[in-house]
Amino acid sequence: MRAGEFADGAAVGCLLAGCALAFVAGVGLSRFPDTLSRMHTVAKPQVLGLLLVTLGLGLRLRSGIDVGMLVMVAFFQLTTVPVATHLVGHAVYRLPHLPTGDLVVDELADRPDPAG
Amino acid sequence: MNATRLDAVRRRRRVSPLLVGWLTAVWVALWGTLTVANVLTGIVSAVLMLVLLPLSPARDRLAFRPWGLARFVLRFALDLVVSSLRVAWQASWPGKLPRNSVLAVELAPRSDLLLTLTVLALNVLPGSIVIEIGRGRPTTLFIHALGADTPAAVAAARRAVVRLAARVVGAFGTRADRAGLEDPSLSARTPGEQP
Repeated sequence: MRAGEFADGAAVGCLLAGCALAFVAGVGLSRFPDTLSRMHTVAKPQVLGLLLVTLGLGLRLRSGIDVGMLVMVAFFQLTTVPVATHLVGHAVYRLPHLPTGDLVVDELADRPDPAG
Repeated sequence: MNATRLDAVRRRRRVSPLLVGWLTAVWVALWGTLTVANVLTGIVSAVLMLVLLPLSPARDRLAFRPWGLARFVLRFALDLVVSSLRVAWQASWPGKLPRNSVLAVELAPRSDLLLTLTVLALNVLPGSIVIEIGRGRPTTLFIHALGADTPAAVAAARRAVVRLAARVVGAFGTRADRAGLEDPSLSARTPGEQP
């Protein structure tokens, strides 16, 4: 059962690291001052955290059908989160009275709406 | 019913076996058990769904290039770890929060499907979120770059976007897409750097 023990140990590591990243994503969500910055914590540490949690679960459960389900979770996370962050970012930038934060360079500000 | 209408109806009825396979796999995974009954009901519901709610016909094609794909996936995994740790650091380090920029980055023109993949990858990757897409020749992406507060950091953010876009083309681009990439007048120009 040495391989099993090793997989369990790796699972513990993945779960802890995933939870830590999800926690930090939450910290970023409350600390960052504007919506556009907050979307970065949703798009990156949160996604990696969830992937690590699914990986940890897969290493612990080790049965085909559970792994299939976890692969689905990871796949849909990777394909839907970027769409959500893009849509929120897109909507927020065009809002007139919502702060977009303290931008150093803004190359979109002096352009007319490129979509319209 | 005239000929074009008939043609459209026939095209709508065409059901892709690849899509049926994928939907059946999702169905079976969601049921949680691999049985003959699950597979059969999965196939039936997949076909039914594709006939009743047909997708709009895809005009764009993707190529799957094994080497480019392997490179893209490996780099994607690495970049995901690096950018996650960087955002985690920026979010949790006490003191000053990062200052950001919105940058315009021009890319070689590409098909809608390839542009979608590029934007998907960019939103997870190197410290950027695409907030606006200007369709034209060349295509301009407007990205929100976290922590790009010096000219050097701004230039690095631009380079990262251009490189990632090139890797997406290397993995999924058709010959036409790759020809566009090699056109030096379009590949790496950045409008913001002109005085």
